[in-house]
Amino acid sequence: MSWLLRRNMLPLHSNSLARRPFASPLPLPPASLPSPRETHIWYVVPDELKDASLLYQYMELLSPCERQSVLRMNGERLQKGALLARALVRTTLARYGRLSPKSFKFQKNRFGKPEVEWDKYDLWAPPPLQFNISHTSTMIACGVTLDLPIGIDIEEKQRKTSNNILSLAHRYFSPVEVAYLKTLADPECRQSEFIRLWTLKEAYVKALGRGFSGTPFKDFTIRLEASNSKQVTGELKSDAPSIVVEAVDDPGILMNRWQFALFELNNSHYTAVCMERDVKNPADGENNSLKLEVWRTLPFVEDECVTETDAVKNIIR
Amino acid sequence: MASISATAKSIPTRPRHSLQAVNGIFGLKSVSISSLRRSFPSIRLQPTPMRFRVCCAAKPETVQKVCDIVKKQLALAEDIAITGESKFSTLGADSLDTVEIVMGLEEAFNISVEEESAQNISTVQDAADLIETLVAAKSG
Repeated sequence: MSWLLRRNMLPLHSNSLARRPFASPLPLPPASLPSPRETHIWYVVPDELKDASLLYQYMELLSPCERQSVLRMNGERLQKGALLARALVRTTLARYGRLSPKSFKFQKNRFGKPEVEWDKYDLWAPPPLQFNISHTSTMIACGVTLDLPIGIDIEEKQRKTSNNILSLAHRYFSPVEVAYLKTLADPECRQSEFIRLWTLKEAYVKALGRGFSGTPFKDFTIRLEASNSKQVTGELKSDAPSIVVEAVDDPGILMNRWQFALFELNNSHYTAVCMERDVKNPADGENNSLKLEVWRTLPFVEDECVTETDAVKNIIR
Repeated sequence: MASISATAKSIPTRPRHSLQAVNGIFGLKSVSISSLRRSFPSIRLQPTPMRFRVCCAAKPETVQKVCDIVKKQLALAEDIAITGESKFSTLGADSLDTVEIVMGLEEAFNISVEEESAQNISTVQDAADLIETLVAAKSG
């Protein structure tokens, strides 16, 4: 981070630090809460951050513990990424409750999944938001739902594995998934399908919140279910094939509790979202699939809704 | 300041980047924890506690081999130092990196790592220790 400061800022000596007024960040534009079947995704592209004073603003939002964690990362690039990730989570959540980004406290569930620790407010209950984040070196994404477990995973489309795809699949994927990858003769196609399947499996594990070891990849299959088939609940599917998950030990019994979306984000990343289905508000015969709203953001600088744009494409649900 | 030098000595493997970055953020020319405290009073830069290993520590060559495999997998910049004390979480390894590293280690050392054991690895030293245990079990 020091290289950014040398370029953009006058050197400060320590005495001036106490007096220097940090510019108050612009208030974050408020956002409407996600509806019951909706996931909101806010993503930031670290390379778009050119203004070093933003790093100060973001650092100001973090708890002391978070600051320590950021500084423990190895090297400036990782530190900047860690700082942006925490700032993204805090500013994103703040938009929905008109709360200060600084005010959130976080805890981990017993398996280590981060979640918001809501204070008991006397006069009003803050919206019960659930969130999950994912990052690569070139993007950080935060998914938010209204009180439904969510997992999100992003991977660079260009990501290459060091190990052979089928070796990795044999080791970590279910037999059905390995068989599927084997049907793909083109190595590039196989590579990209592997990455897409990886993001789906990762998103599912993160939605469950039991950690990588609590939900071993080998124990479940994620695949496309053909259209016009009745699911266990008796709901008729829409025409398009949908993404489903089933236990390896219990094939054919689809775990309907979970719904997925897989798409390309910003032309650079495969993105998978897994969200628990909202059974309290069942759809009335209309499309029951997961809805997405997506924003590109640089907190306190700009937000852009990209849902209906080229930045979000090739959506499979 | 005595406390600062003691801190620096007890964490020889802490990359200098983290303190430099802190200095850089505030434009401070020298390590000055008290200046940092003035602006963020609740920060205390605690060193990671050194872990004393008596008999079960892996050989330095094993640790070095693990470092090389990790560095290659994570495509880390040349100036990022990896040692036995380096934690995978602070090296920016995601879950796919982690499984690739495990597979790379299995191949390099001709061993097989159980999922449960892999989950308990948090530092490079942990990985090296596990590897030597598995190698010894294979040949023993």
